[in-house]
Amino acid sequence: MSFRFIQRQNFAVLNTVRLCSSASPLMANGNGHELRKLGFDSVSSPASYLLNSVRRIVSSSSMHGRIFTATSSSRGFATTGDSVQPFDSASDAPPRIKFKRLDKTAKHIMQILDKEAVGEVRAQREIPDIKPGYIVQLKVEVPENKRRASIVKGIVIARRNAGLNSTFRIRRLVAGVGVESMFPLYSPNLKEIKVLDKKKVRRAKLYYLRDKMNALKKH
Amino acid sequence: MIQPQTYLNVADNSGARELMCIRIIGASNRRYARIGDVIVAVIKEAIPNTPLERSEVIRAVIVRTCKELKRNNGTIIRYDDNAAVIIDQEGNPKGTRVFGAIPRELRLSFTKIVSLAPEVL
Repeated sequence: MSFRFIQRQNFAVLNTVRLCSSASPLMANGNGHELRKLGFDSVSSPASYLLNSVRRIVSSSSMHGRIFTATSSSRGFATTGDSVQPFDSASDAPPRIKFKRLDKTAKHIMQILDKEAVGEVRAQREIPDIKPGYIVQLKVEVPENKRRASIVKGIVIARRNAGLNSTFRIRRLVAGVGVESMFPLYSPNLKEIKVLDKKKVRRAKLYYLRDKMNALKKH
Repeated sequence: MIQPQTYLNVADNSGARELMCIRIIGASNRRYARIGDVIVAVIKEAIPNTPLERSEVIRAVIVRTCKELKRNNGTIIRYDDNAAVIIDQEGNPKGTRVFGAIPRELRLSFTKIVSLAPEVL
C-alpha cells in the first residue's frame, strides 16, 4: 500500500506540473487581471499557488516515504491527501475563493462603523431614551451665545432612527408662536437632555398637534 | 417659501395686520423668499387709526416661515405661521415693538429688529 501511495503522489506531481505549464499561457493573456478584480489578492497567481502546493507535495512525499516504513498509521496521509485533492477534482481551475458581493461587504462595514460611532458618543454622555410623547428639557449650546446654553423645553413629536444621524423633533410655544425644532440626537451641541414627563400617545409621529396646539390658528 | 400672492402676518405694532407679498427683492427671477429676505408687499388688512392704511405698498422682511429653516449645525427650525416685519428703505422697522420669536439669522442685517424681539431663537 505504501508503494501505491507513492505512485499516487507521483501521479499527482506530474499532474500539477502539467497544470502549471497549461496555466502559464492563460496567465499571460489576462487571466491575472480578472483574478485581481475578483479580489484574488492573497494568491498572486494560480501558477504560483500550484508551484507552492507542488513543492509541499514533493517535500511531504519524500518525508513520508521515509517515515512510512517505520509506522503504518494512515493518519499521516490526510494532510498530504488534502493538498492533492483540489487538483484531482478540478480539471483546469485553481481552487475558488468564495467572497460576498463587494457592495454587501461595504454596507456591512458602514453599519459596523456607525454602531461604533454611536457607542463612542453614548459612552461619553448619558443620552436617555426619547420617545414621542415625552416632555423633554434640553440644554443646547449655541456658539453665538457665548454665555450660558439656552434651555429648550417641549414635547417630542417625532423620532427618526438613522444610526448616528438619529434626530428628534420638539414642539413648543415660544412668545405666542408655535415652534418646532429638530435636533440630531448625538449632536455635541446638546449638552443635557432631561425627561420631565411622559404622555400616553398611540402614534409614532404626533403631527396632529400642529392643528391641535396651534395658538395662531383662527377658529 | 414665500412667493407673490402669499399672505403674511405682521409681527410688529406698525398698524398693519396682514400683508400680501407682491415681489421678492434680490435677484431678478427669484422664485421663493426665505427668512431674512426683503419683500415688497401690499397691506390687505390694517388696524384703524394708524399711519398705515389698507392697499399701501410697503417693504417688509420675513421673520417666520412655515417652511423649515436649516442651520449649519444640523438643527432645523419651523414656525407655525408666515410673518414679516415692516421696514423702511434702510432696514429699520416702522413699528416700535416686535411680537413672537425671531430667528438668529437676522442678527447680521437687521440688528434693530433682533434687539426688539422678545425671544431670539
